Formats: sequence, C-alpha cells, structure tokens
Amino acid sequence: MKPIETKQEYSDYVDKKSPNSPILKNCFNAFWVGGLICTIGQFIMDFCKYKGMDETGASTVVSITLIAISAILTGLNIFNKIGKFAGAGSLIPITGFANSIVSPAIEYKSEGYVMGVGGKMFTVAGPVLVFGISASVIIGIIATLFAH
Amino acid sequence: MKHIGKQTIKLDTPPTILQTASIVGPKEAQGPLAKYFDQCLEDEFWGEKTWEKAESKIIKETVNTVISKSGIASSDIDYCFAGDLLNQCISSSFGLRELNIPFFGIFGACSTFVESLCLGSIFLDGKAASNVLCATSSHFCSAEKQFRFPLELGNQRPPTSQWTVTGSGAAIVSASRKWSIYNSCYARKDCRYGN
Repeated sequence: MKPIETKQEYSDYVDKKSPNSPILKNCFNAFWVGGLICTIGQFIMDFCKYKGMDETGASTVVSITLIAISAILTGLNIFNKIGKFAGAGSLIPITGFANSIVSPAIEYKSEGYVMGVGGKMFTVAGPVLVFGISASVIIGIIATLFAH
Repeated sequence: MKHIGKQTIKLDTPPTILQTASIVGPKEAQGPLAKYFDQCLEDEFWGEKTWEKAESKIIKETVNTVISKSGIASSDIDYCFAGDLLNQCISSSFGLRELNIPFFGIFGACSTFVESLCLGSIFLDGKAASNVLCATSSHFCSAEKQFRFPLELGNQRPPTSQWTVTGSGAAIVSASRKWSIYNSCYARKDCRYGN
C-alpha cells in the first residue's frame, strides 16, 4: 500500500474503509414513520373539525396533542427507540422538537431543578429557537414596512 | 533520565507495572475481552443516583481492587495520577479522595491513562516516588451528557460513531528493582533461577 500523505488521501481512505449508513433503509423507515405521524395529526385535525372546531383551533389541538404524546414517550424511554429507527421521520415533525426539549430536561434533572432542568433544558433546541424567533422578527419587520 | 530527540525521554531504570485492575460496564462485558476484566457490572448506575456518581464509584472500586491485589499498603503509594472525561475530573477526584494519596488530576481524553503512566514513570525515575498509582475512568452515559446529546434524544448514530467505554482501569507502577528484574525474567522465560 502506498503511504498516505495528503488530507484528501486520508479522507478517501477512511471513506473506503468505513461502513456506510444504510441510506435506502433509513429513507424508507423515515418515510413511513414520518407519514404515519402526519396521518395521526391529520386524523386529530379532522376529528376536531368534525366536532365543530375552526381551522386555527384544530391545528393548535394537533400540535398540542403530538407534543404531549412525544413528551410522554420520551419520558417512557420509547421515543429514542423510535428515533433510532426512523431518524428524520420522527425528528422533523413537531414530535422531534418536543423530544429535543424533554430529553435534556430528563438528563439534567440530576443537577437540580433550577440550574439543571431550567438552565439546560434548551441546550439542544436553543439554536432553533434563537434563530427561528430572530428570523420571524426580522421577516415581521420587513413585512410591516413593505407590505402596504 | 535523559531527554533524547524531540519528544522522547529515556529513563535510567525502567519502572515496572506491578499490578493492574479493571472494572467495566455491561456493554464491555459482552465483548471478547470480558474474561480479562476484574469485574463486569450488570447495571450502569451501580446503585448510585447519577451517572457521575456511578463513574466515581467505578474508579474508586478499581483502585481499591488494584491496591488489594498488589499487596502494597495504600500508605506506601506516594502519588496518584488519574483523570477522566468530566469537568474538573470529578469522578477521579471524588473517587480517590478517601485514599489520602496526593493526587494529580490529568486530562488527555483517550490518552489519559498513558499520560498518567508517562508522568508516573518520570516521578519514579526521578526518585520522587517509589510507588505511584495510575488510573482513569469513563462512563458512556456521563460522557454523552457532557459532550454529545441527552440519552433520550431520538437521533441516529452512524455505523462509525464511537462509543465511550463504561469502565475504569488502574495500575500500580513501582521503581522497585526486585520487581522489575523478576518481571523481565518472567517475560523472557529463559531466566530459571530468579536472579
């Protein structure tokens, strides 16, 4: 074997030797689990509309219900197993966001309720919140200035 | 002791690893090396309330094991070089404080144990000590908490992702010539008279 000299050669060598993620299998599992979560959401939404709720009320109920389910499943140590199986299928819907807040809360409970749970709860979801809220504020300002 | 080359130290009298001990967690116990460990735990908490306390207990028990196996009194151990992956080396410093051996906390991530052996050997060769204790520990759950993601987070690991060991290893290194002669003879297998 010829000696590895450049960074590129080393990275090619590592790529050649290391096993790849099973992309097709992961995509398939993500597709059907993600689809199933969305179908459950749609089912809740239709049920709420059937009971006489308006569009906004029904979609709020869907979010709350899915968040509650995934928070409870995280606490029961089930959601991480679903996540390992489905990957983005369970992470991208609102269920993944709930999981990313509840899981640090559980993990850091050993450091106390104020500095542990309170302080570290947003270690995973923090960047999403900061940039999501900042972006929405900026877009809100732009929309207010130029929309009329 | 002599500094040769750029990063090599040549010791005058080679120090000897007198005795070693190791305690590992359940995942390591499933591996092919399981029979070589002194103790394999069935539970990652080991009766403690947090991962950090469990890790601290693992290193404490490993060090107690190595001391009792070696037959050297803990008062005869001059210094202790130990470290782990956690902030302020809490598992080693809390695990070893009851031993009352002067403690050097070191951090080298994966290299912590070899780093402790290097520093300990230099202490021995410099005649600053006659026995030193070298130890390290890590715990999968406490390392994940400190460096990566919470365990309950539903993310996927790539097949090549690393898995931090749950366990601890300890060695007593000695400058004693008697032991080093005995051991080098033992290793050569051609020294029948123990001279």
